[in-house]
Amino acid sequence: MKQHREERIALATRIYELDGEVYRCLGSNLGRVFTGKRDATIEELARLMCSSEKSHYLRSELALISNMARTIQDKPTRARLMREYDSILQEVESLPTSFGRVDILDEQMASLNAASLSDRFGKGDHLVICIGRTYGSAGTDIGFALADALHINYYDTEIFTEVLERLEAEQDHVSDFVSFSHEKNPNVTGDIHDRKMTLKQRIREFSRYHGLSKRDAIFFNESDLLCEKARTEDFIIMGRCGDRILSHNGIPHLSVFITAPFEKRVQRIMATDDLTEKQARKLLKTLDRRHGSYYNFYTGRRWGDPNSYDLCINSASYGIEGSVELIKRMVDRQSYKKPASNK
Amino acid sequence: MKKLSALAAALLGVLAFSVTAMAESPAGETGTAVPSLLYCIPFAGILLCIALFPLVKPTWWEEHQAPVVLAWSLAFIVPFVIGFGAHHTAEVVLECIINDYLTFIVLLFGLFCVAGNITLEGDLAGSPRINVGLLLFGTLLSSWVGTTGASMLMVRPIIKMNSWRKRKRHIMIFFIFLISNIGGCLTPIGDPPLLMGFMRGVPFFWSLRLLPILAFNAAVLLFVFYHLDMRAYRKDIAEGRKPDISKPGTEIRIAGLHNLIFLAAIVVAVLLSGTLPSLPLFRNADGTVRGIPILGEVTLTWPAVIEIAIILASAWLSFRTTSAKVRTENHFTWGAIKEVAILFIGIFITMQPALMILKANGASLGLDSPYQMFWATGALSSFLDNTPTYLVFLTTAGSLGFTEGIATALGTVPAKMLVAISCGAVFMGANTYIGNAPNFMVKSISDENGVRMPSFFGYILWSLGFLIPVFILDTLIFFL
Repeated sequence: MKQHREERIALATRIYELDGEVYRCLGSNLGRVFTGKRDATIEELARLMCSSEKSHYLRSELALISNMARTIQDKPTRARLMREYDSILQEVESLPTSFGRVDILDEQMASLNAASLSDRFGKGDHLVICIGRTYGSAGTDIGFALADALHINYYDTEIFTEVLERLEAEQDHVSDFVSFSHEKNPNVTGDIHDRKMTLKQRIREFSRYHGLSKRDAIFFNESDLLCEKARTEDFIIMGRCGDRILSHNGIPHLSVFITAPFEKRVQRIMATDDLTEKQARKLLKTLDRRHGSYYNFYTGRRWGDPNSYDLCINSASYGIEGSVELIKRMVDRQSYKKPASNK
Repeated sequence: MKKLSALAAALLGVLAFSVTAMAESPAGETGTAVPSLLYCIPFAGILLCIALFPLVKPTWWEEHQAPVVLAWSLAFIVPFVIGFGAHHTAEVVLECIINDYLTFIVLLFGLFCVAGNITLEGDLAGSPRINVGLLLFGTLLSSWVGTTGASMLMVRPIIKMNSWRKRKRHIMIFFIFLISNIGGCLTPIGDPPLLMGFMRGVPFFWSLRLLPILAFNAAVLLFVFYHLDMRAYRKDIAEGRKPDISKPGTEIRIAGLHNLIFLAAIVVAVLLSGTLPSLPLFRNADGTVRGIPILGEVTLTWPAVIEIAIILASAWLSFRTTSAKVRTENHFTWGAIKEVAILFIGIFITMQPALMILKANGASLGLDSPYQMFWATGALSSFLDNTPTYLVFLTTAGSLGFTEGIATALGTVPAKMLVAISCGAVFMGANTYIGNAPNFMVKSISDENGVRMPSFFGYILWSLGFLIPVFILDTLIFFL
């Protein structure tokens, strides 16, 4: 099984590199076939190789590379790349159809399950914990206390502020779409200021966000920032689809979702936010819907679905300290090896 | 060796077919102008090859397009020579090559060259709202620089902006629907059938009456497109794809902008080809257009020569005045135009019998209402050249004896009828890859640049799913 996987990865790497070289030789800027991250793309290609029902996708991707390679002007280069293409094609065609029938194991899922947690972080990897939470479940307090207990950084709205600096945007023109910081006014959205903008401001916004909506531009920048941080430091990130962003970029992390029964959450925010029961119920429903919709939009998954996380905690069962202790024990058990820079 | 044997076998098969067709051709038809339906088999054959070979033998097809096209062309020519005589056949083939194909391919070539020398640099990210904006802009542009001009100008920037995305074929399909076809309905510059109408007496700005229909079609299609694109966009993001927007602010720079002058020159050339033939200077005493005699009645007219000269000069000047770096960045290759040139010469030659049958029987089809004209013109324009199809139905409408409407050289045609014929010819060219010249070019350029376009039949399924329902709505709202 492992040998087959290595063979597939090697072949997928050759395909990825061929695409890159074809693109380089053409000197075009119209885009290449594989535009995703290298590691993620190679993994995806390797997966396609063992899935007989999706093998036609692999064939079409190869055909697109050959379409581009055939247009290379320099004959020796074209001949060399087409030879490599033919050789890859032969190997792809000779892949045993039994590859996908060796085991029922889903490699992608297995790489994320608790049993293999001890292998998740390599020697140079940083400890990154992504915490998703419902409002009123004390998830924010748990995350903050955990960061304190583990002596690592804690990021929530700080990420958003840094993104605004990168975009050279003014904070009073954009709201943090996913933060709970505006929880007392759940009707506030990031686009409320759009209605008041002049044409000149609209053009400036269009240019600043590269023609994208504010929400998308901020999400893409948050993604970049999270990946940069994950390569240099240990931290806890609250929400912001951090778990999926890091998964797509092949960055090891722990994903945790914290929630509590609706009635318990209502009681808690009545106490913490000084709301009536009716206001509290309305607020929770609005925020749950908004966060669910945000997570679903950017990840294609259901927010709070246990299948998406390593660990789901009912904070009503453990309390803040108990939840912190539970996650901390899990981190300690997976024998995380701190990189030299963090010692 | 094996490939050569296969090709030889195919050619033998074609020759065998030729003999069969000749044998089945009724002797009585010899010398008459209307060929039998059997002569349309090579046309169907070439369409089937275009549809099937890229799926079953893509590499072989890429290397053998020219011999296959030649074989199907001979499959029409050889029986036609036997049935109608060498002189008549030569006239038919030369007429279609000189007067239809030559100007068609030169125009395509000129726009391909000039647009290939304009590149958009910048980091505008392809998203549903940007794509809707670009498609709308291109749709409106089509009527003023031609569907081919707008397609060539817009295809690369759209591919580039969406290069970060995985799911993008629908963008290019709706591009063909809107920019390469529907958008060209407002002026005679937009699409060749309307230019033919203009040459037959339809006022230049008359086509602006089609604006409400264009607006309706564009609104419906862009609405559908936005939701399709949003779904695809979300899936791309959910897979972790994202555009590179790390730099604050967007810098858009267009290199080779001076080529817009050459583009304008090409548009003027097209306009001249429609206006010059009516001037006395270009007319003989018998009313025919002056030109270089080729064979019998086949003449390369002076207006066509002027059009060709302006277009080729524009293409040449465009190359001389633009840095090769721009073409490299645009991934400019000759592949797309070469493929279109080879396939369409075969299509033009082999579709002649179908056009002859249509010309002979158009008036006897019993079509007398706008919705019938819309669908008949449209259905045939989907597969045949839409210019002669438009003319056939305009002639039919002109001969119905109406006394009120638009006075044309072919008779008076009621406005609603003319709207239906114009819309059918222009809109339904989008139904297939071969319905209109730029369709195949957009497909080829997309194929070369990492967009997995659907097959011939796959594209027809997209048309059936998205275009035909809109055309049914058009019928109910505008043509009943």
